[in-house]
Amino acid sequence: MRTKAHLLSILRLSPRLAPYVLISPFLILFAVFGVFPLLFSLYLAFQSWEPTSGLAAMEYVGLDNFAFALGDEWFWKSLKNTLWLAVAAGAPQHLVAIPLAVFIHNSFHRFRDGIVGAYFLPYITSTVAIAIMFSALFSTDFGLINVGLGLVGVSPIDWLNEPNSLKPMIAMVVFWKYLGFNVVIYLAALQTIPKDLYEAATMDGAGRWQQFWFITLPSIRPMIYFGVTLSVVGGLQLFEEPFILTRGNGGTDQAGMTAAVYLYRMAFDFNDFGGASAMSWLLFIVVVALTWLTNRAFRPRGAAT
Amino acid sequence: MKHTPGPLAPWMAYVVVGVGALITLAPFYFMFVFATQSRTDIFNLPPPLWFGDDLLNNLKILTERLPFWRNLGWSIYVALASTVLTLLFCSMAGYAFALMEFRFKKALFTLVMATMLLPSFMNMIPTFMIMDALGWIDEHRALYIPGAASAFGILLMRQFASTAVPKELIEAARMDGCGELGIYWRIVLPLLRPALGTLGLITFISSWNNFINPLIVMRSAENYTLPLALRSLQSTLNTEWGALMTGSAIATIPLLILFAISSRQLIAGLTAGAVK
Amino acid sequence: MTTPDEPVAPRAVKKSIGLSARGNNRRALLAAGLLSVLPSWAGQRRKISVAAFPNVDAIIRAAIPRWKQRHPDIDIEVVSRQYIDHHTAMTTALSTSVYLPDVMALESTYVGRYALGQGLEDLAQPPYRVGQFRDRFVRFAYEQAINRRGEVIAVPTDIGPGTLLYRHDLLAKAGLTETDLTTSWDGYVEAGIKLKAATGAYLIGNAQQVKDIMIRSGLQPGEGLYFDQASRVLVTSPRFVRAFELARKVRQHKLDARAYAWSNEWAEGFKRGTVATEPTGAWMVGQLSNWVAPDTSGKWRAAPLPEKTFVGYGGTYYAIPRRAPSANKLLAWEFIQLLTLDREQQFAAFKSDDAFPALVEAHDDPFFEQPLPFLGGQRARLLWRDAARKIVATGSHKQSDFANEVINTELSNVMDRGKSIKQALADAQRLLERRAFR
Repeated sequence: MRTKAHLLSILRLSPRLAPYVLISPFLILFAVFGVFPLLFSLYLAFQSWEPTSGLAAMEYVGLDNFAFALGDEWFWKSLKNTLWLAVAAGAPQHLVAIPLAVFIHNSFHRFRDGIVGAYFLPYITSTVAIAIMFSALFSTDFGLINVGLGLVGVSPIDWLNEPNSLKPMIAMVVFWKYLGFNVVIYLAALQTIPKDLYEAATMDGAGRWQQFWFITLPSIRPMIYFGVTLSVVGGLQLFEEPFILTRGNGGTDQAGMTAAVYLYRMAFDFNDFGGASAMSWLLFIVVVALTWLTNRAFRPRGAAT
Repeated sequence: MKHTPGPLAPWMAYVVVGVGALITLAPFYFMFVFATQSRTDIFNLPPPLWFGDDLLNNLKILTERLPFWRNLGWSIYVALASTVLTLLFCSMAGYAFALMEFRFKKALFTLVMATMLLPSFMNMIPTFMIMDALGWIDEHRALYIPGAASAFGILLMRQFASTAVPKELIEAARMDGCGELGIYWRIVLPLLRPALGTLGLITFISSWNNFINPLIVMRSAENYTLPLALRSLQSTLNTEWGALMTGSAIATIPLLILFAISSRQLIAGLTAGAVK
Repeated sequence: MTTPDEPVAPRAVKKSIGLSARGNNRRALLAAGLLSVLPSWAGQRRKISVAAFPNVDAIIRAAIPRWKQRHPDIDIEVVSRQYIDHHTAMTTALSTSVYLPDVMALESTYVGRYALGQGLEDLAQPPYRVGQFRDRFVRFAYEQAINRRGEVIAVPTDIGPGTLLYRHDLLAKAGLTETDLTTSWDGYVEAGIKLKAATGAYLIGNAQQVKDIMIRSGLQPGEGLYFDQASRVLVTSPRFVRAFELARKVRQHKLDARAYAWSNEWAEGFKRGTVATEPTGAWMVGQLSNWVAPDTSGKWRAAPLPEKTFVGYGGTYYAIPRRAPSANKLLAWEFIQLLTLDREQQFAAFKSDDAFPALVEAHDDPFFEQPLPFLGGQRARLLWRDAARKIVATGSHKQSDFANEVINTELSNVMDRGKSIKQALADAQRLLERRAFR
């Protein structure tokens, strides 16, 4: 301890310089690994390219790729799917995770790790196992869900092939997978709320709902911002779950084809890297706009972020 | 122990939460069940509900076809390195963004956010070019260094620090003549502990499951991390699903252990009374 | 999914021969990477790197001992990845021209795609002159690797002749014979209706498979599937109309299980005998007997596809990247020749991994006349050998994969949402015309 303190005092920094030193790792890594890919994909958005011919095969096409993307039915369809899924899978995550975290925080002591662990497990379960399990549950002829529905006289539903049921199913899987993740984040935030705040409130005669509403929620607000931002960003870039559940093609009538899945397919299946780059920049604009709105909604009064 | 019930009718709430937990457990359970089944049985409908006796056989196929334990070792190495670096870099930047004032702060933070918003798989080809230029192809550092100052981590730390670290405490420390790095190391870091636990857990898991980056840079089977190695079992037709499931199940065990440890840490961070 | 031209290839059980080769090769693999791109220096062991995917990797490793007899001082290093990962990695390597392997294995669908670019050597040119071996390969397989500029960009090693597998016992129960299934597509569907009435079994896994084959029937050599040579869109032609009509009929009569290949539902259909026929590649027999539905042994038979349709289901090729280290190119070519032109090697791969030889000489063996127990003792390899020679190569187009996706979407609109075929194909035409020249 003593040597460490000594070391730290040698490395004494002026308060003015300190913040730059603290964020320098980010800046350096971004300069080395982040800038070039950005410029590359921006450049590519104005090119027509057959990648297997090598870098020299790029051909400047002006705004063609953007024009193509904006006039592409499938691109718009994929954007709509993305927004639908982001809302349907994202909003419930927080509406459930916050009360759940509060409840676990207040009411579970002995089995707390176990219960949090159980909710967290989907986040670490292999996606292959998840895919097999869900296709087994939702299979038309043999699936457990249809078997169950059959017992109460409902005719089998073709979950995986019917566009109307495919989207809710994907939303459900996403919700299920990330619920525990959000619970863990909110639990971490709940732990920072000083106990005496509640004690004072109880003495003032505030009920549980009032405490939840006036103490808990405002206290974890920065974390809600964090969680919602992640859901917005993650939801708009949703890829893995729809990709696996639709066997990589977006499903019947592309009902499960998110913008990210479409981008991937444009580049690696349909061999159109220029078009995919243009689309990824258009998607970027959408994500920025929505993140900005989220930011506004959660902006702490008076603060400048 | 003092017991504070939640706002709902206690019994019902416990039941709902308990049942919810059971539902989330099911696929996890199946992963271990599948790990003990032959590939023929995994494809049954309904799928097998109880453990089978093919575990050893699956394990045999797995270790014959892959340098499995070696791959496991690399995964642990990469995930640990990635976690340590991420915790360090992100807590530094997150603290700066949350509690310090400096020029270009807003612009720099916007930059951080922007890196999170860009669709990432358009980066495969340029990333490959960078790794080649650095001579990092087939090197594990290419897996844990580039992402170590992730926007996600910085944002998490910033958000957490803004509630958990009281400004007055830092001012007081400055008054006492404590250096800036000293403040970071001795005051801020301990206060960030619950969030560090969370970020560490999430970083470890995402490193563990990442296959895009290893796919770009790794070339030899001996150096693969687990997801890439397990994927390489999947052929067009003749996939050893049993072995794949066994591999996936084994791959989850370190994460379980980690979770058990870090959740203890999270709670320890709380009861240590770090906040006032 | 197992549609013709889809990325599936004939390979089956991994035999121990491939595994033992891996052990010996461990140290070589460890050094994979840097060395392979450098020209060989004096005193350093030379090495040919081969990038592949399972189970082609096993076939390649099995060939190493024979290679060593000729070149004891030159190692073969195999870099293996999951097959989509492999092709993604190859696209990346070709696009940046770094870390290119000396030899690249390619699945047949990717051959069409890579043929559009200029990343692969034209093997028709000296020093390779693959043209001299042209007649030794199954015709369509060779022609499939010729691009529009007339370059030969890859050499075929195995093929997947299409066949109709059917449940003999279920047919007998319904009083049907093989000819009822195979004479015409209409007859095939009619037989399906009787079969369903008599046994309750589905005719086919997915109605889409019917469309997949039918749009490929009657193609002239080199004729495109969705686009002609001048990129005109062909999807409103009678070929598509008829394929859509029959697929719809299959769905309307509930003759398909609506299952997707390699799903649990699909596998279960085979195990329980709820699906009576499967149009597929010859390699499927190995999969069924090894693990998908081993208990149904003896109940299956193989027939030609209905209406004398001959299509290929997957296949594997080897290519040499243009920008691979030139010092290794001749050796790479020699290794490819060992894999593709050596009768014994081709034959070994057939026996060990169900890799149906693309080399015609390898077809001339008593092995082809052996009865197959899984098919009730049928001598089905003769049938497949015959089919292999009648398949024609189809022209490829940059937008083929997209067109496939659009057609499948419109087919499901027709089958499940009552869209008219005329409208569906017109919509597809419109979408494809927007892309034809991208």
